[in-house]
Amino acid sequence: MIVLKIKYHTLILTGILVTLLFLSPLVIPVYWVILLSEILIMGLMAVSFNLLLGYAGLLSFGQGAFFGLGAYTAALMLQAGYENLFLIFLAGILVAMLAALIVGFFSVRLDEIFFAMITLAFGMMFFSIAHNWRDVTGGSDGLPVFNLPNLQLFGLDLTFYSPISMYYLIFTTVLIALFLLWLVVHSPFGLILKATRENKQRVSFVGGNVRKLRIVAFTISGAFTGLAGVLFCLFNNMATPEFMHWSFSTKPIIMAIIGGTGSFFGPLFGAGIFFVLEQIIIRYTENWMFFLGIILVPVVLFFPQGVFGTLQNRFFKQRSK
Amino acid sequence: MSTGDVLQIKNLGHSYGKFKVIEDISLSIGKGEMSALIGPNGAGKTTFYNAISGKFPPTRGKVFLNGNDITGLPSYRVVDKGMCRSFQITNIFNDLSVIENVFSPLIIQQNKHFKLYGNIFNDQQINEKAMQTLEQVGLTDRADQVVANLAYGDKRLVEMAIVLAREPSVVLLDEPTAGMNPEETENMINLIKKLAKNSGTTFFITEHDMKVVFSLAEKIYVLHQGHLLACGNPQEIRANEQVQEAYLGRKVHA
Ligand SMILES: Nc1ncnc2c1ncn2[C@@H]1O[C@H](COP(=O)(O)OP(=O)(O)O)[C@@H](O)[C@H]1O
Ligand SMILES: [Mg+2]
Repeated sequence: MIVLKIKYHTLILTGILVTLLFLSPLVIPVYWVILLSEILIMGLMAVSFNLLLGYAGLLSFGQGAFFGLGAYTAALMLQAGYENLFLIFLAGILVAMLAALIVGFFSVRLDEIFFAMITLAFGMMFFSIAHNWRDVTGGSDGLPVFNLPNLQLFGLDLTFYSPISMYYLIFTTVLIALFLLWLVVHSPFGLILKATRENKQRVSFVGGNVRKLRIVAFTISGAFTGLAGVLFCLFNNMATPEFMHWSFSTKPIIMAIIGGTGSFFGPLFGAGIFFVLEQIIIRYTENWMFFLGIILVPVVLFFPQGVFGTLQNRFFKQRSK
Repeated sequence: MSTGDVLQIKNLGHSYGKFKVIEDISLSIGKGEMSALIGPNGAGKTTFYNAISGKFPPTRGKVFLNGNDITGLPSYRVVDKGMCRSFQITNIFNDLSVIENVFSPLIIQQNKHFKLYGNIFNDQQINEKAMQTLEQVGLTDRADQVVANLAYGDKRLVEMAIVLAREPSVVLLDEPTAGMNPEETENMINLIKKLAKNSGTTFFITEHDMKVVFSLAEKIYVLHQGHLLACGNPQEIRANEQVQEAYLGRKVHA
């Protein structure tokens, strides 16, 4: 029953983008393939984050915790000798999902700055655990990963030791994850979620349990963030406590704001802009953060809908929500 | 309690801290009735609505809806039990389109609000019901417009549509004509009359505008300094000396 009403131009643009991403490793240098891998992973994290900010109006400052939980789950399983890719994906998603369910349960009754602060506090709790529980997490050194999972599919035995094969693993996984998130955003649940962003009292006064709706949104967001964390662990051969630090949690926020929180793909583009700019700027200066600030200020001031959101509105005159 | 009573309130009282706003209000509203709660600004009408609709639990007293005790239930449960309300200050989904505003209660009514796939615009049942609801309030031609861009009177109609969409057995309207110009006010009165006549729904409205109330309500409750001062049909209320003294004052003698 998944009949979807997709706007014509969205379909074409998505098609072009997917084709470009699919073909790009054949033409661009390996260095950029690696960068593109990172963009896709962080893009998935940013889009998952934006389910909360853009659609539910909730600014989560603790997304790093779920990313880190996904990454540590993958690292621990690989160290324990599990090599089944699906099993690792599943475990990473479940662990992050469960944590998000618990954090969400306590957090979603709050709004705005209070919600941001409580998610920040939970995030830092997870960071402390990862940082201090040396026996399990390796402490500040993190957990290295020496062997990667493999995948038996259609009689093929796939491994991911080359950057190109790793890229295709990431590309495929992110594509599927984004499609699922896209379904969620356009579902009846997605509409009600936007309604809670617009006016949670009204939702409650037409019979919706706002708290439950938000918990579900938070859990879904956490699950996909966990998946991004699993991918990053495989990509990076490492799970480190930094993933859970609050400063890491600001990355999806910055990406979503640069790209635009009002459109589904905005945060993905924000991730792209973030990394490409970083690459260009660190060639000339070490003060990347300074220039990031210089870029963020005008974006926030003059492109409240983000770069992607503004372009989309300009050229397609469609509503950005 | 007679069998026809849909809404029954017993000794309801509410205080904000030590400040008693309403006290000892008891009333019974029969099925399909059109009643109004009147009182000057600050009399406690909105507080009364908030206390019976689940915005906050009343400090004292009981509320029964269709025989069920709904005292202190959260608003979403009260709605499930069949009572839905509007607000004095328009309370709608500003950045959504008119039809999306109406989809929201319908999705919840049909228990599809946790459905994670499928596009609502392809759900024929919900689309039909949404369009029917918009037709009731006369907004079909604006279905695709973003609510934020509508005129004030139309926004109030959107709120009416949201309230009606769930087909509640009791509709509470808190000053439905508040802030409206004379033309919009008249449209709203006619709309409420039409809805009450056709649907068999029980309407309970608050108003401070006497003209609106007398032209609309079959039964009027007068709230004065937090107490029910009188209740009766429009003629009785007009004739009631206590009411004239306390509230209607010169207006009626003129
Ligand atoms: N949340 C609140 N906290 C404290 N006092 C309130 C609150 N809401 C209303 N009041 C006071 O209660 C009284 C009744 O207000 P209200 O119920 O809004 O009256 P009405 O709707 O009849 O104009 C007023 O004196 C008002 O100032
Ligand atoms: Mg009021």
